[in-house]
Amino acid sequence: MNYPAWEVPNIGGSWVIGIISIFHVVIAWFAVGGGLYLPLAERKAIYENKRDWLPVIRTHSRFFLVLTSVFGAISGVGIWFAIGLVHPEATSTLIHNFVFGWAIEWVFFVIELAAAAAYYYSWDRIPEKLHLKIGYLYAASSFLTLVIINGILSFMLTPGASWLSVAGTGQEASRFWEAFFNPTYFPSLMIRTLACLALAGVWALLTLARVNGEIKDSTRVSMIRWSASWLVPMFVLLPVFLVWFLAMTPANNLGLLQLGMANIGSGGFTQVTRIAMLTVITTFTIAGVVYFFAYKLPKDLTWGHAASVMFLAIIATSSTEYVRETIRKPWVIGDHMYSNGIRKSEIDGFNSEGYLTQSMWNPGRTASQVEVGKQVFRGQCMSCHTETGYRSMKRFMAQRDAASTASLLQMLKEHKPESTTSKFMPPLVGSEDEISALGAYLMTLNDQPAVVVTEKATKPSTLAKNQ
Amino acid sequence: MANTYEYLDDRLGLSDLKALADKKTVPLHRGSYWYYWGGISLFCFIVQAVTGVLLLVYYRPGPEAYESVRQITNEIHFGWLIRSAHNWAANIFLFSTFVHMFSVFFMKAYRQPREFGWWSGIALLLLGMLFGFSGYLLPMDELAYFATKVGLEIPNAIPLIGPPIANLLRGGLEVSEFTVQRFFALHAVVLPALFLPLLMFHLYLVQRHGNALPVSEEAKPAAERKSIPFFPNFLAKDLAMWLITLNVIALMASLFPWQLGPPADLLKPAPLGIKPEWYFLSQFQTLKVIGQWIPGYAGEVFGMSLFTLGLVLWFLIPVFDTRSAKGNRARMATYFGIFVLTVLGLTTLWGYLAAA
Repeated sequence: MNYPAWEVPNIGGSWVIGIISIFHVVIAWFAVGGGLYLPLAERKAIYENKRDWLPVIRTHSRFFLVLTSVFGAISGVGIWFAIGLVHPEATSTLIHNFVFGWAIEWVFFVIELAAAAAYYYSWDRIPEKLHLKIGYLYAASSFLTLVIINGILSFMLTPGASWLSVAGTGQEASRFWEAFFNPTYFPSLMIRTLACLALAGVWALLTLARVNGEIKDSTRVSMIRWSASWLVPMFVLLPVFLVWFLAMTPANNLGLLQLGMANIGSGGFTQVTRIAMLTVITTFTIAGVVYFFAYKLPKDLTWGHAASVMFLAIIATSSTEYVRETIRKPWVIGDHMYSNGIRKSEIDGFNSEGYLTQSMWNPGRTASQVEVGKQVFRGQCMSCHTETGYRSMKRFMAQRDAASTASLLQMLKEHKPESTTSKFMPPLVGSEDEISALGAYLMTLNDQPAVVVTEKATKPSTLAKNQ
Repeated sequence: MANTYEYLDDRLGLSDLKALADKKTVPLHRGSYWYYWGGISLFCFIVQAVTGVLLLVYYRPGPEAYESVRQITNEIHFGWLIRSAHNWAANIFLFSTFVHMFSVFFMKAYRQPREFGWWSGIALLLLGMLFGFSGYLLPMDELAYFATKVGLEIPNAIPLIGPPIANLLRGGLEVSEFTVQRFFALHAVVLPALFLPLLMFHLYLVQRHGNALPVSEEAKPAAERKSIPFFPNFLAKDLAMWLITLNVIALMASLFPWQLGPPADLLKPAPLGIKPEWYFLSQFQTLKVIGQWIPGYAGEVFGMSLFTLGLVLWFLIPVFDTRSAKGNRARMATYFGIFVLTVLGLTTLWGYLAAA
C-alpha cells in the first residue's frame, strides 16, 4: 500500500471510473467516427452535387463541436482523476511505461480540438477545398488518438510475453513497442473503429431526426439513408473481428464469460455473462431498427426512433465496455498486477513479512484487531467491494459465522486454480495475524457473534462486536 | 419465386390478405402513440407462451416443484434466462394491458360498435391476472408460498361462493403441494384454453373495426384527418415496438434476474413484509384498510362487494356512456376514468409503501 485508499460508499471506486468512462466512450467514439463522417459528407455534397446537404452538415458540426470538445474532453480528464484515485498502482505502472505514448496522444488531441474549432468556424469563410482539408486533418488526428489509447487499453488485458519478461526489472519501458502492439491490439483497434463508424451514423440520425420540417424531405431522406449505411461495416465485420479478438484473449479470461451460463448466484461472478448477452441483443436490435426505420422508411424516422437507437447504442457500448473491463479479472494488468494493485511478484513477500508492514498507512502495533483488519480490507478488497453497496460485503457476510469466514479467507489465500473465486479474485495476502484481523473486521459487518478463528491459528481471539 | 407465390396464393388466398392489408390504414394524431400498447401486450403474451413451453420441459409440479425450479435457475444452461424472461414478460404484459385498457377508455374506444372489444379485453386482463396469480406459486419458494396464502384471502372474502372457491383452488384448507398441482393445471392448461380463443376473438374485432379515433379527432372534417398505411408503415413501427419490448425484457432479465428464495416451509411463521404482486396490491391494501374500519368478515364482504360493483360498472361503461356513443364529449365518463385510475394508483402506491 504505497497510496491511500479512496473510499466511495455504495457504488465503489470502480463504478466511478465506469460511469465516467461510459459517458466518455460514447462521446469519444463519436468524435472519431463523426470526425470522418463530416468531411466525407461534405465531400459528397460538393462533388456529387448534393449542395442541399451542406446546411445540415453545418448544423451537425456545431452539435459535434460542442459535444466532443466540451463533454468529451472534460470526461477524458475525469477518467484520469478517477483511475489515479481508484487504481494508483496500476496508473503509475501505465504512466511509467507509456508516458511517451500519452505525450503523443495529447499532441494529436490538441490538433484534433484546434481542427474541430477551425472546421466549424471557417464554414463559408475559406475556400471549400481548404475547409474540406481541415475536416480531413480533424479526422486523421482524432483517429490517431484512438490508435494510441487502444495500445494502452489492450495492453492491460494482454501485456504480451516480451513485456512480462522484463516486468518488475525497471527495464519495462524498453519494451514499449511490444507492449503497445500487444496480442489484442489489432482486433481491439478494428472493433473500436467499427463502433466509432456506427456511432457516427447513429448520432447523425439524431441530428437528422431533429431537423425534420426544417429541410426538404428529399434532402432528409438521402442523408438518412447515407447515415444509416455507416452502420453496415459494423454489422458485416464485427463478427470477424470479434472472433479474432476472442482468439487472442487468454483462456482464463474467456472462462469468466461462461460462469453465468448455468446460474445467477450472487458472488459467483455471473453478471458478466448476462451483460455480454445484452451486447448481442442490443446490437441486433440496432441493426433491425436502423434498417427498417432509417433505411427502408426514412420519411417515418422520428426523434423518438433516433433517440431509441441512441439509447440502445449506449446500452450496447456500455455493456461491451463492462464486459471488456470485467473479463480482465483478477488482473488489472494481465498476469502482472492484480485488480487490487498487488503485483504477482510481491505475493510471497507480503505473505512472509505482512501486508501492512510496508504500508505508510499501517495502523501500528497499538491498533485493535478490527482496525488492522479494516486497513487490510481497504488495501486489498475495496477496489472491487464496498461495505454496503455494490458487491456489498455486508450482504456476503450476512449468512456467515466466524468459522465459515475463516475458511473463506483461507480459500482466498490459497488461491488454488480449481476454486471458482481464483478465476476472478486476486489471492488474499498477508500474515496470519492480518488475515484473522480481516476476518474480525468482516465479522463486524454481519449480525453473527464475533468470534474469529483462523484455521491455522490454535488460539481463538475473541473480539467485541463493533470494536 | 413468382411460381411459388402463385402456388401458395391459389391454395391459401394470399392476395386476399394482401388486398386487405393494402386497404387498412391507421389514424395519425396526437394520441397515436397509445395504439402500440395492445401490440406490446400481445408480444409479451407470445414471449410467455414460448418461454412457458421451454419451462415445461424441466418444471415438475407437486412435491418436486421447488427442486425443479432450483435446477432451472442454478444448473441448467440459460434456464435462469428463460425463467427471468417469462417473469418479466408477465409483468410487462400486465402493465401494458393496463395502459392499453386506460388508453382505450380515455379515447372512448369502447363506443359502438366496439363494445365487444372492450368486454373481451377486460376478460383477457382478468385472465392475465389469474395467470400471474397461479404462476407465482409454482416455484414454491418461501415468498411464493406466503404471497399465495395471503392472496387467496381475496377470493376467500367473496360472500358465500368465496370460501369454496378458495378451498377448491388450494386443494384443501392450506396451501400445499396439492395447490401447486392445481395451480399448474390452471396456469398451463385451463387458462390458456380460455385465453387463446378469447384473444382470437379480440384480435378479430380489432381487425374488423380498425383503430378507434378519439372523439376530438372524429369531430374534425375527414380531409383534415391524417393516416398512415397499415402495411408496411404501421406494421414496421409495431414490430419496432416489439423489438424494443424484447430489449427491455432482456435488459431486466440480465440486470435483475428472477431470484429463487429458500424453499417454502409450511411450519415457519410468515416472514415480515409479505405482499402480493403489484397488480393485486390495490385490492389487498383496500381490503386491509376496510378491515381496520369494519373488522372481521363483514369488512371483507363489504370490500369484495365494492370491488365487484366497481368492476361491473367499469365493464358496463359502453352501456352507460351514451353521450360518447353519439360523438359528444362525455366529461362524466372521463372523470370516472380519472377517478378509477387515481384510486388504483394511490392504493397500489399505499400498499407498496405500507408496512405489511
